[in-house]
Amino acid sequence: MTSRRRIMTATVLALTTALGLSACSQGGGGSLTFMVFETPALDAKFWDTSIATAAKEAPSTTIKKIVSTDADRTKYAKQLQASGQFPDILASISPKDFTGAKLLKPFDQKWLDDNFLQPTANAIEGETYIPPTNSQIIPLVFYNKKIFADNGISVPTTWADFTAAITKLRAAGITPLELAGSEAWAASMPLVGLASADVLGKDPTWIQKLYKGGAKLSDPLFANAMQKAVNLVKMGAYNPAALSVDFKTANSNFLAGKSAMYPMGSWFTGSSYITAAQADNIGVFPWPTDDGSVVIPFNVGGTTSVSATSKNVDAAQKFAQAWSLAPANLKVLIETDGAFPMMKKLSIKDFGATVSSLYNSSYSYVTNSNTKVSSFGWVNNDDALAPGINDSFYALAQSVFSDSDVKTQLTKLDADWAAATKK
Amino acid sequence: MSTHTQPHARHRIGLAPLAVLALLLYAAFLIYPLVQSFITSLTNRNVLNATNAFIGFANFAELVHDERFLRSLGFTLVVVLFVTVVSNVFGLLFAMLLNGPARHYKIMRTLVFIPQVLSGVIVAFMWRSILTENGLLNSVLQGTGLTQQPISWLGTPELATLSICVVVSWMTIAFTTVVYTAALQSVPAELHEAARMDGAGPLNRFRNVTLPMIAPGTTISVTLTLITTLKLFDVIAVLTGGGPANSTKSVAFYLIDVAFTSNRFGYASAIAMVLLALTAVVAYGVTYLLRRREAHL
Repeated sequence: MTSRRRIMTATVLALTTALGLSACSQGGGGSLTFMVFETPALDAKFWDTSIATAAKEAPSTTIKKIVSTDADRTKYAKQLQASGQFPDILASISPKDFTGAKLLKPFDQKWLDDNFLQPTANAIEGETYIPPTNSQIIPLVFYNKKIFADNGISVPTTWADFTAAITKLRAAGITPLELAGSEAWAASMPLVGLASADVLGKDPTWIQKLYKGGAKLSDPLFANAMQKAVNLVKMGAYNPAALSVDFKTANSNFLAGKSAMYPMGSWFTGSSYITAAQADNIGVFPWPTDDGSVVIPFNVGGTTSVSATSKNVDAAQKFAQAWSLAPANLKVLIETDGAFPMMKKLSIKDFGATVSSLYNSSYSYVTNSNTKVSSFGWVNNDDALAPGINDSFYALAQSVFSDSDVKTQLTKLDADWAAATKK
Repeated sequence: MSTHTQPHARHRIGLAPLAVLALLLYAAFLIYPLVQSFITSLTNRNVLNATNAFIGFANFAELVHDERFLRSLGFTLVVVLFVTVVSNVFGLLFAMLLNGPARHYKIMRTLVFIPQVLSGVIVAFMWRSILTENGLLNSVLQGTGLTQQPISWLGTPELATLSICVVVSWMTIAFTTVVYTAALQSVPAELHEAARMDGAGPLNRFRNVTLPMIAPGTTISVTLTLITTLKLFDVIAVLTGGGPANSTKSVAFYLIDVAFTSNRFGYASAIAMVLLALTAVVAYGVTYLLRRREAHL
């Protein structure tokens, strides 16, 4: 009897404690989770500091940081969602994957209009789930000025100039294009450039046509662009072992002068990837088109999305807004990650950021008047690709090295698209 | 009489709650998820699209025509075959070389076991630094003049597959060496002595004494190697990320992609069920065959 009573008492105590803890965790502004991701540019210190800065605007809230264990933070967010742990605030996910299930809370349009240069740049069906704080160009083509000068090559403006430069460099025994081929997202840079410049440059509504069934990936417009990727491989534009090169090695290869050009996102201009001295020897040009017209593959980014299922959506959104508007946070992104600010009330000078000459050259493509199109596979708006298609597209970037049959590969990609968009 | 039976009864009652607890844990953490996964495999569940309708065995029917699944299955079977054969042959070889009582044998056995202790992620990171374009292997090959250009060990489907096979074998050889060492140490020295006195040479003694006596060890080693390799994920995730062009995606890797990239939880559950069935059939079949072999020896 005594022992039974003891067990009963222990059970009641345990249940009471559990209920008490549960009640504590659900009360007030309380504790909110913020899923972040770490890169060489955005390290643990950056996130801790940025969270502390934003938390000052939402003092009743405690933020618990969750670091994505997967480089693909959208995938990690899905894993958390599937296990009932969807974070209250999420950094740099692809919102379109989550809007179908109404998992994200849109931001107030007036707040967006008041604070950002392009307040609807990230809109999905009229709602914005990620504040349009900064932008990137994906890809630009970076080149080694000395190698170009030594080989008498001028900056290419047309596709013909570009391929002529590749041929000349190849003949001189220099690897024309650097590629971080072992990381599929980085391997896709030339294909992103081709799809953005050659397809969206000619028809900016092409992705919407794809969604509505009015276009196919195997159509000649897209297939011809991808054929150029095969042609680059055939003409020896890359190191033969390019698919064994990772992102870090590709960066150091290019900066060491082992290759002449490097198609990469504009984040490469940040101090995490390139020093000011190295940047002085690097020039930049947009991905070339057939007729030499300038087409900029543009992505308006941002960081904080808010869960609609958060136990305190208002507090989460207040924190997200504070994080997005904090100049100190964007200053770090500008300096280390080469982010281009898109704030209405703050110009680049207002941040007091130290940037390289390469950053300034690249930023001129944002501020100059030119044709800007969605960076294929990178944007956060209606032009974002259907779930899973980015991976298939990345795989295509690697398969062009061993399979030159573009038509068959794109027909398979069409099938993937049909499966991914099936209601 | 009663004084003798009471402790036995108490003993029996004392163990019952433990058994019940074990059964409850087993049901909660194995049976329930298994049943839940099977039920999900019969739906088109997509947690990010609010769909969850019963579709019968449509997911399983789709698998038969899914080229990516079939390719991942083919890749997995190639790795399983390679790793099982190589790790067991080399594991037995190392065990025989290291089967001695002296201290240096013990030290060597400990060193050989280290790859098994390390996490697959750490092993894969280590091997990636060896196999990349400017990694250790290419540096040695080029430095010694054996090759002019770096070899793309992780960049072509064939070499990437071979690289994964070698890395996984390197890890599992550590495990098989330990299993075979234990098996070898249970072989009575008298049997070898008797065979030697009957004029049996080293090869004959290995075939007619060692192999039959270590048969139970072989069964354990082969079965566990098969099961471990069939669900391979971590080494691939770090070493190749499933590339180039999806050529090194195992079934387990493809399953995760389908669930968390394409959001198709129902279809991913169907893949999980097939992988479970495949593992069970292969493990049971191999164990059955090896046990029969043990009985014949």
